[in-house]
Amino acid sequence: MIVSGWIHSPSQDARRRAGVFRSALTLALALALPLAFGGCAWLLPQSETLRLQWPGDLEPRVELDSVPFFPQEDYRCGPASLATVMTYDGTGVTPDDLVSKVYLPNRGGSLQVEMLAAPRPYGLVSWRLAPRFADLLREVQAGTPVIVMQDYGVGPFAYWHYAVVVGFDRDTGKAVLRSGEKRRLEIPFAVLEYTWKESAYWALAVLPPDRVPATADEAGWLQAVVAMERVADRKAARTAYLAALRRWPESLNGAIGLANVDYAQGDLQETESVLREAVKHHPTSVVALNNLAQAVADQNRNDEALALIDQAVALGGPFSAAAEQTRAQIRKKMGAQQ
Amino acid sequence: MKSAAFRMLCRFLIASMFAMSLQPAMAGVIGTEQAISATSAQAGRAALITTLSRSDVASQLQAQGVDPEAAKARVASMTDQEVTTLAGQIESLPAGAHVSGWAIAGIVVVVALIVWYLWK
Repeated sequence: MIVSGWIHSPSQDARRRAGVFRSALTLALALALPLAFGGCAWLLPQSETLRLQWPGDLEPRVELDSVPFFPQEDYRCGPASLATVMTYDGTGVTPDDLVSKVYLPNRGGSLQVEMLAAPRPYGLVSWRLAPRFADLLREVQAGTPVIVMQDYGVGPFAYWHYAVVVGFDRDTGKAVLRSGEKRRLEIPFAVLEYTWKESAYWALAVLPPDRVPATADEAGWLQAVVAMERVADRKAARTAYLAALRRWPESLNGAIGLANVDYAQGDLQETESVLREAVKHHPTSVVALNNLAQAVADQNRNDEALALIDQAVALGGPFSAAAEQTRAQIRKKMGAQQ
Repeated sequence: MKSAAFRMLCRFLIASMFAMSLQPAMAGVIGTEQAISATSAQAGRAALITTLSRSDVASQLQAQGVDPEAAKARVASMTDQEVTTLAGQIESLPAGAHVSGWAIAGIVVVVALIVWYLWK
């Protein structure tokens, strides 16, 4: 069987051996495969679906010509493909800048988790796409080049590789990639799926904070923004929450995130107005009420704050302990001021 | 020679020092990360466990040839969940590397044959 699931990447030696055997194995498998498998729909389900029915929201042809290209001659396709999308986002990093951030010298490659983590300190948000071919094409159509992880291995030898999808053409059935030493590699959808499927359709988009991916969902995107906020500056986080609120105007956690950035910057009025708006849409959110009570108490309107925190405590739930703590603090402060 | 238990104790103490510094700086306000994951109840314990995993992952990165300072920064950019997926797995998880033109050509031939055979 050719598709061998989640295999350990080979050591350098094994990789060399894999090279020797590759052509023989490829030939044998090319002959054996059609006999072994019953249908393309099972083997390459998503290409088959695209071939039979092209999604109505997708253009027939898109290519992001201005995506830069960093040819890589050694094992550094991770840094090269990250630099490709991050430069397109306007950061101006080079593959060399990223080697110390995503490359593992002893493994001779880059791990998926590190590919996700590396853009965050630059104030960029890493978005892991749903494992859908059409979503990959939707992001490209929205102007976002997407990194995919492929397996070019054969049989028991996995041969992992990162490339950047920058375009597609329905009529020729081909995708355009920045890959390895090729600025413009055109491969059929079926070939892309065949190699991409092995990584469970792993795909990564890296976006500047003022943009939200076309295929993002609210909860997933906010998690991606929070992950960036941990290591990026507040300005990028604030921009990202504002963008999320433009996409989902009633987003509770988007408002909580924005208010928390404002609070950390000491802007109490802005914090209050964002949270008042959130409470209007989500009157039973303990977190919003609690944080609003705190921001109001910090402006020395303690009676008003106490009324808000009483509401929060009365609602119970997983944050009730935190709300009770806030209430105790507000009361203590009121006691001290009397 | 240090016993395993002694080393474990040291790591635990170091980790708990880190965990103490992780206490929220803003009293009274519930953080966005907590609000999203709704795990405030076990936040303290989770933070301690993750701190242990973080130092674990950082030393595993070093074992793969990453400079100690860079390893620390790389772990810092990961979410708790990502740290957990990496802990103990760095040697076995797939690492994307170079691919030659011949490998691409080989795959193209294989898939072309499949497609020709099944879709002809």
